[in-house]
Amino acid sequence: MAGLQELGFFNSARSSGQQATKREAGTVNPGTGDAASMNRHERGHFGPGSFSFPGFLGLMLFLSFLLMASFSFAIAPCDPWVRFQPFLPPGWGHFLGTNDLGNDILSELIYGSKVSLIVGFGAALLSTFLGTLIGLLSGYYKGLVDEILMGITDIFLMIPQIPLIIVLAAFLKPSFWMVALLLGCLWWTSTARVIRSKTLQIREMSFIEGSRSMGFSDLHIIFSDVLPNIFYVILPKFLLAVASAMIAEASISFLGLGDASMKSWGMMINFAFTRGGFINGYWWWYLPPGLCISLSVLSVILMGFALEERDLETERIE
Amino acid sequence: MSPAKKRLLRCILALFLIVSLNFIIPRSMPGDPLTNLLGEDAYLTEGSASELRSLMGLDLPLHEQYLAYWRSILSFDLGYSYHLHSSVSSLILSRMKWTLLLAVPSLSAGAIFGTILGGLAGWKRGCGMERVNTAFFLMIYCTPPYFLSLLALYLFSFRLGLFPLKGLYSTGSFLDIAHHLMLPILVMSLFSVSRNFMIMRGSVLVERRSLYAAYARAKGLYGNEILFRHCFKNALLPIITIIALDFGFIFSGALFIEIVFSMNGMGNLIYDSLLSRDYPVLQGSFLIVTIMVILANLLADLQYSRIDPRVRWQ
Repeated sequence: MAGLQELGFFNSARSSGQQATKREAGTVNPGTGDAASMNRHERGHFGPGSFSFPGFLGLMLFLSFLLMASFSFAIAPCDPWVRFQPFLPPGWGHFLGTNDLGNDILSELIYGSKVSLIVGFGAALLSTFLGTLIGLLSGYYKGLVDEILMGITDIFLMIPQIPLIIVLAAFLKPSFWMVALLLGCLWWTSTARVIRSKTLQIREMSFIEGSRSMGFSDLHIIFSDVLPNIFYVILPKFLLAVASAMIAEASISFLGLGDASMKSWGMMINFAFTRGGFINGYWWWYLPPGLCISLSVLSVILMGFALEERDLETERIE
Repeated sequence: MSPAKKRLLRCILALFLIVSLNFIIPRSMPGDPLTNLLGEDAYLTEGSASELRSLMGLDLPLHEQYLAYWRSILSFDLGYSYHLHSSVSSLILSRMKWTLLLAVPSLSAGAIFGTILGGLAGWKRGCGMERVNTAFFLMIYCTPPYFLSLLALYLFSFRLGLFPLKGLYSTGSFLDIAHHLMLPILVMSLFSVSRNFMIMRGSVLVERRSLYAAYARAKGLYGNEILFRHCFKNALLPIITIIALDFGFIFSGALFIEIVFSMNGMGNLIYDSLLSRDYPVLQGSFLIVTIMVILANLLADLQYSRIDPRVRWQ
């Protein structure tokens, strides 16, 4: 699943070496060039600004999923583990009917948002942290450090993650935080590459040179001068990582490798698929969880998309 | 060291890492390594267990086991499945062709249509039709492939009865196989188009802001002409590596699609081996899939260095 994070629309500084060198060459000129691009970086990437309609839609959708996950105990009409009459079609007692065990599907759905969001954000936090750290170090120090770190990144990038996670999960019978940990450890690669190419640009700017000549330590420069200026790249990357981790979690639970002690959307579809819900046409069993997966992923992607588009808007032909 | 050699070295390192990982996983995971190597379905008496243990070299020191493991990998011996009573390599070989039959046409269709549609969408950003296209492919993009295939199966096979419900063939004639494969290939192509679409769109968005595009416009060329004569090639370049990296993900998508359509390919092999905890098959399949993905990456790199003059000159 390496490619999911490698999406073009999420970054202008794409990972290929050629692109990076092309851009580096453009930013070496000191003075005005610096000022212009600094200006662009500082302009409200996080302020209210012009957040487009799709972005707004994504935010609203996401907030509703977040509410659903955090107050699931209050919103859900009943306990998702309690058993009623099985195979009830949607009706007044049970809005979305019941499954083969008689669990209320609406409640299952609401409780399922928890795993999806926790795994998504947990994995994305870890992978963004790792990716940012590795990208910063390799972009700032260049040379041998860069060679080694980027070599490792390339190797990790080539290994297909989903099959690897399937194999590991088959042996480990994991809990959902273990899935998040595995995903996070495997997905830092593309973030690292983007961060590296941005760091390569920024380290040549004159204000970094200034800090260096004033005798600040490398680590200080990296974290207080370089990092704030690449933050606007990290955020969309982070959101994309959340989305891919959510899809991966759903896929793993669809294979029946998820955490059996938690309700999750992927697992609901799996049960519907393996226990005859699909063949018998009980659409209320597998359609809602599938839509929830798509919508939650969509909400996160739309937010990242909006951030990225706004970034493109401010970019002009120099 | 030239970049091409560096890439080759990294591919070899990745392969080495994966094979080693495959060695380490069953031996380091909780439980008896014998069970981890044979699968939980194999019931053994005490005597045959110890006999197998020495036959498989589990009583040897680890470094000797490791060397023996490499020897068997290099001679295409991936172990024996006690669940399916067959050697893993022959199992994979017989299943692989069906997966390739699904993956190759859909991946090619995805690459061609995805880049063209995505290029157009990036070029005419904001125009009505392209917005609809982008929204559509974004939706597909956000949907897990197995759910997409479930929907397609329900709609086209179950409700409309246009396609068979499951399997690969009933009579085995070419037309029959094509009929069975049509829907899975369609779903898989959609899935792969949506990914390439998004990538290409982003690439063209960046490319159309470049100076040469502005110059082409100033020269008086029409929009689409600039796109297909100038920007398309340049936007395509970084895409080649990205598509290759995406290959691993799309390929795992094929596995899920196979499971939903009950096709007898690698996906179902992996799924069945998961259900019966048939570890040799699981690991062998993982190894083969990984090798294929790495080879695809290598191939893309070679293509890349042939196409991009900046790399060729280095």
